[in-house]
Amino acid sequence: MNRISLNNVDLHYHSAAFRERSLKSLLAGAVTGKKIRQGQIHHIHALKGVSVEIKAGERVGLLGHNGAGKSTFLKMVAGLYPISGGERIVEGRIRSLFDLSLGFEPDASGRENILYRGLLLGMSPKKMREIEDEVVRFADLGEFIDYPIKTYSAGMQVRLAFAVSTAVEGDVLLLDEVIGAGDAAFITKAQNRIRALIEKSEILVLASHDFASLKSMCDRGLVFHHGEIVFDGSIEASIAQYKYINGLG
Amino acid sequence: MAIASYSSGDRFHEPAKIKPSSASDLSSFGYIRGIWEARHFWMHLSLSDLRAKWRRSFFGIFWTIIQPLGLTILLSIVFGKIFHSDIADYAPFILSGMILWDFVVTSAVGGSLTFVQADSYIKQCRHPLAIYSLRTVLTNLIVFLCASTSLLVWVLIWRPQNFGWAWIAVPTVIPLLVLIAWPLATLLGYVGARFRDLPHALGLVLQALWFISPIYLEPKVFRGGGLHLLVDANPIYHLLQIVRAPLLQGEWATWQNYGFSFGLVAVLTLLAVLVGRSAEKKVIYYL
Repeated sequence: MNRISLNNVDLHYHSAAFRERSLKSLLAGAVTGKKIRQGQIHHIHALKGVSVEIKAGERVGLLGHNGAGKSTFLKMVAGLYPISGGERIVEGRIRSLFDLSLGFEPDASGRENILYRGLLLGMSPKKMREIEDEVVRFADLGEFIDYPIKTYSAGMQVRLAFAVSTAVEGDVLLLDEVIGAGDAAFITKAQNRIRALIEKSEILVLASHDFASLKSMCDRGLVFHHGEIVFDGSIEASIAQYKYINGLG
Repeated sequence: MAIASYSSGDRFHEPAKIKPSSASDLSSFGYIRGIWEARHFWMHLSLSDLRAKWRRSFFGIFWTIIQPLGLTILLSIVFGKIFHSDIADYAPFILSGMILWDFVVTSAVGGSLTFVQADSYIKQCRHPLAIYSLRTVLTNLIVFLCASTSLLVWVLIWRPQNFGWAWIAVPTVIPLLVLIAWPLATLLGYVGARFRDLPHALGLVLQALWFISPIYLEPKVFRGGGLHLLVDANPIYHLLQIVRAPLLQGEWATWQNYGFSFGLVAVLTLLAVLVGRSAEKKVIYYL
């Protein structure tokens, strides 16, 4: 059974990751015995004691101010970020859509990159050959599909990435504000496609600031505030709670 | 739910269908299985690297042969005069050293950057990080194999008497090179993600290693200077001997040669595993 089960999960961003970036500064600090002047940088406690159970069939929206922990939560569920405490159980094949325009081989053609990204997402080359035409049609890049990615505009890259990433199904769908990429015509097409993908998935977790799409796609809401889940309930109640906490009336 | 009677049978197949463990399982078995499951991905990335390398160049793949060959001819003329060696003998010695050392250097330096360059993949999908260092090593291995053809042809033309049964042991160098370069690249990748100075420092270290190893200079030069240890206790020498003994001397490589090479494999693998235990999960924070 597909499920997400989190029990008292803590997640820290280790301060070393953004403090000493070079051997020189590390050695300088060790030799002089002085702390390098960086102000006070501590570990960032990004998720604090998060406990939540999400069962198959649930559509969960994440709300919260910028930096509240929504994206970190999604990346933790996806298994990208290691947790520093608690228990994380995720069952089901994860399909995540974050940072869509990332992860192309710039010298390879669009067609080749469709293959690479599909393989990145765990598809077999055979399966990718089957869906290639459909992806090409959806991305609708014309002759550019056979040009190297480095000739693409940012919007074109997103279209291609979106077309591939959404062609691959998964049980647990994690979305981070991906709706809204590309031009107006593409957005409509993309939204329809996302909806179709959501319908096929067992679990949806969507982080968004767009109340309308949250209301239409989700039935449960989690409100994040400074790394904690402060509210867990129906999506309407969550939106109201989010507005109340953040003083939006 | 309605077909509860089938559920037990269904559940039996479930682990194969859904793969939750590949994301959370950090045991060594799960890790290796993750590498295997992602095989299409890293193989294709490797091929993509090769295509990118030779794209829009006239000689394309032949550059991997032309480049070391040209340099070898130049060096063997100069060194041959200095050390009074026969060029026909000395050139394959230099060539063998050059292509093998090139593989080590490109794998080490490439490895130190491999996670940094794969950051967009690492941030999107959870795969064992070792697939990215394997990609680097595989790319370099293919370049190495292409370059080796020039060595084989050279030896067959100039020293056909070396050809013999010992040559069947030459391909053993391929798995050895992978088993050495892969943990090395992975290890350096972990460190390189944390300390971005690594490629620069590495250039220095590798230059030093090159200098104290019989890569271009013949072992007899070191022995003549009383530096036996730089030959006998040097894994680089022993690794080179696995290729050089059959091809250049028509002899079998010794067990010592293999012993030192496998020793190096063991040490590097152990180091990579030890560092990886804590570094594997943290790398994403440093990207």
